[in-house]
Amino acid sequence: MKLTVGWLSLALAIFLALIVQEFIPALRFFHGARVFLAPMLFCYGALAMPFWAMLLMAIYTGFLIDLAYLNVPDGHVEIALGWSIVVFVFFGLFAHGLQPAFAGGRWWLHVLLSAIFTSAFLALQFVMICFRRQGIFFNETVAWRIAAPGLFAAVLAPLVHLTVVKLAPYVRGPTRLEPYRIDQP
Amino acid sequence: MSRLNVILVVAVIAGAVVISSFGSSVMQKLQAGFLSAVSPFLKTGSAVQRQLGAMGEGLKTLDQLEDENQRLKTENTELRATNQILRDLEAENSKLRSALDYRKRSIFKLVPARIISRDASTWWNTVKINRGFEEGLEADQPVLTDVGLVGKTTTVAKNESIVLLISDESCKVAAKVEGSNERGILFGRRTGEGGAPAEMQLNFLSKKANLQPGQRVFTEGVSKGTSIGVFPSGIFLGTVKSFQARPLDGQAIVEPAVDLSSVEDVFVVVDGAK
Repeated sequence: MKLTVGWLSLALAIFLALIVQEFIPALRFFHGARVFLAPMLFCYGALAMPFWAMLLMAIYTGFLIDLAYLNVPDGHVEIALGWSIVVFVFFGLFAHGLQPAFAGGRWWLHVLLSAIFTSAFLALQFVMICFRRQGIFFNETVAWRIAAPGLFAAVLAPLVHLTVVKLAPYVRGPTRLEPYRIDQP
Repeated sequence: MSRLNVILVVAVIAGAVVISSFGSSVMQKLQAGFLSAVSPFLKTGSAVQRQLGAMGEGLKTLDQLEDENQRLKTENTELRATNQILRDLEAENSKLRSALDYRKRSIFKLVPARIISRDASTWWNTVKINRGFEEGLEADQPVLTDVGLVGKTTTVAKNESIVLLISDESCKVAAKVEGSNERGILFGRRTGEGGAPAEMQLNFLSKKANLQPGQRVFTEGVSKGTSIGVFPSGIFLGTVKSFQARPLDGQAIVEPAVDLSSVEDVFVVVDGAK
C-alpha cells in the first residue's frame, strides 16, 4: 500500500513537473537554459523504490517526456518515441545500484545523481538532434543549456527529499531521515 | 542483479525499441492524446499567467491612459482614412479584373488562436496554441500575425496544436528578397550561433546578391507537396540584417518580422493556403 502511494505520488509529481515547466520561462542569464525537473524526480524513485517499481517509473517517465517533447517537422520525427525509456532504464539501473548507500543516510547521492541525470539526458538529446541535422557542434550556449538544468535540479533535489521526509508519516512511512526506502514496512 | 531482473530490463528495452519503430503518424496521434490530456492544466496555467500580467499592466497612471487614448484616437483616424483609400482601390481592382476576366484569387480562411505555452523544450522552438482539429486545423498549416509569419502547425490535437516557429532550425521556408531576384531557403540558426536567438539564416542565395541591411524578405510560396512549400506567397518574414558571400552561395542573416518571444495572438491559415 505504502509503495503504491509512493509510486503514484511520484508519478503525479513528474506529470505536474512537466506542466509547470511549460510556464517557467527560459533563463536568459543562462543562455536560454530551462528548468527540467522530471529526471530529478525519477532519480528519487530509482534510489528509493524496489527494482520492478523503478522499471515501471522509467517506462512512465521516458514515455511522458517523449510525448511532451516530440518534434515532427515535415512529417518526420526527430527523436523517436521510446528512446527516453531506454535512457531512463540505464539511469535507473545506475541509481538502483547505489540504493544501499542512499538508504544508509547518504542523501546527497540524490543531489549528485539529479544533476548528472538531468544534464546527461539533455546532452544525449542534443547529440541525437545533431546527428539528425547537420553534424555535431558545440559552443558556450549549448554547454550552458546542458549544465544549467543539472545545477537547478541539484539545488531543488534537497527540497524534494525534505518533502518526502515530511510527508512520510502520513503514509505510515519513515518518520526520521533513516531509512529512506519507501517500500519498507 | 537476479536473472528475473535481467529479463525485466531486456523486456522493457525491447518494448521501447518496438515503440520507437512506430510511424510518425502514430506517434503524432499519441502526442495529440497527451496534449488533450494536459490541455486543461495548460489553459488554466495560461489564464493565471495572463491575469498576473494584466494586473501589472493595469496599474497605469492617468497621464499614461490619456496618452494611450490620444494615440489610439489618432491611429483610428489613420485607419479610417486608409480604409477609404483601400475601398476605392478594391472597386477599381474588381473593375479591372472583370475587364480582364481574371481568375478569382483564393481567399485565406483564418482561425484566430492564442498561445497557451511557449518554449517548452531546451532544443526546439515551439509554442502551443488553443485551437485544434475541431476548429479545422491540420498539420503543416501556416501560422501568422498581422505583422508576418510565425511558423507552422505540427501535431494537432482536438483543441490544441503545436506550432514550430520559423526561428527553429528544422522549420524551412522558401523565401524571396524584395527588390531583387534573389530566392533562398530560410530557417532558424543553430543553438547559440550568432547574436539574437531568434535570428534566421537565408541560404542558397547567389554569391553576388549583395543584399543590403533593411531589405525585406517574403515567403516564396512554392508548390504543394514539398516540405518548404506550405506557406502562401507574399507573407512578410523579416528584414535582412547582414549578407556574406560564402564559397558556394550567399547567406543573409534575417531578423524576424514578428517578435516571437512575446507574440500572444496568432492566426492559422486553414484554407486556401496552398
